[in-house]
Amino acid sequence: MVVRDKPALKACRDLEEDLVLYYYGEVSESARGNCDAHLKNCEACRASLAEMRSLLPMTAAHDEPAQAFWEDYSREMRRKLDAVAESETWWRRIVGLVAPLPVPALATGAVLLLALTLTLTLTLGKGLWRSSTSAPDDEAFMEVLPMAEQLDFFSNMELLDNLDLLETLTGQGNGTA
Amino acid sequence: MAASPTARIGDEELVASAQKGDRRAFEELVERHKQKAYRIAFDFARDREEAKDLSQEAFLKAFTHISRFDGRSGFYTWFYRILVNVCLDYRRRAKRAPAEEYNETVEHQVDPTHVPANPVAPDQHAIAGQLWRRVGAALELLPAKQRTAFILKNHQGLSIREIAETMETAEGTVKVHLHRAVTALRQSLAEFA
Repeated sequence: MVVRDKPALKACRDLEEDLVLYYYGEVSESARGNCDAHLKNCEACRASLAEMRSLLPMTAAHDEPAQAFWEDYSREMRRKLDAVAESETWWRRIVGLVAPLPVPALATGAVLLLALTLTLTLTLGKGLWRSSTSAPDDEAFMEVLPMAEQLDFFSNMELLDNLDLLETLTGQGNGTA
Repeated sequence: MAASPTARIGDEELVASAQKGDRRAFEELVERHKQKAYRIAFDFARDREEAKDLSQEAFLKAFTHISRFDGRSGFYTWFYRILVNVCLDYRRRAKRAPAEEYNETVEHQVDPTHVPANPVAPDQHAIAGQLWRRVGAALELLPAKQRTAFILKNHQGLSIREIAETMETAEGTVKVHLHRAVTALRQSLAEFA
């Protein structure tokens, strides 16, 4: 490996992309033939290809850890798998509680839940609507007032009946005396 | 040394057992593919601990989603996609981390137990160290897709078609990413050519 000061000759612009693929062996047979023919006559493209051949393999990162590393890797991996399996067990337990129930039972439960939700929503909604239009005390008074008036009427009627009865009894008493 | 009883079993059978809840079967899959997985992760992270964590994270994802593996491709092809995605996610996370971390971590890659086959002269060693840092910095500057295409081609030796499948993109797009990555790296590393 040499640290170079001069920049390399630039490859021909229209062959640049093909030259990269040529280096990696990813060109078609016909394109390969074209590249081979061009390279015979073009010093810049030959230099460009030579540069790729010397530079690109050096960019790969190589690491060969010792055996102890791999043993530690396996141990750590088993520990992590244990942790994942443990957390999955909790989920399975929850799912396991629901899963044995038959579909009709689950459907009935869902319908009941929906009905309860609707009932609560409507009841609460109605209460809220009422409270927003009039105060509860006023409303109760308005409902009781006609009833009280009717009660007065019947009381008066009862009093008149009693007076009639008293007059009749008085008249009868005078006649017999 | 006696061979493991699962040594002759194919990946497909191990996956089938793992899907039925056999932990040992999955652990055998890890044993088979851990070194390849680690090397790919190392290509992306260029850091030993990070590479270990990333490859293990990919195995854990494969473990939790093993029921979704439908067997249309090989286990390793399926796992490979998970791994590359984990590595790309790491790239996004790393981008948010302070830039100085890179130089600190790459300095610690020398394995004290590793004896090189061809010892190099001190000046060559210094240049190699300098190149290592410059390559890391140059790769770091590449957009994620260019970097992925380059690593999968240059380091892993995948075909353009395989890269396109892994990255879920067109082959023509992969070629463009690869060309741009190589051009950018050559500009950054011209002095080492």
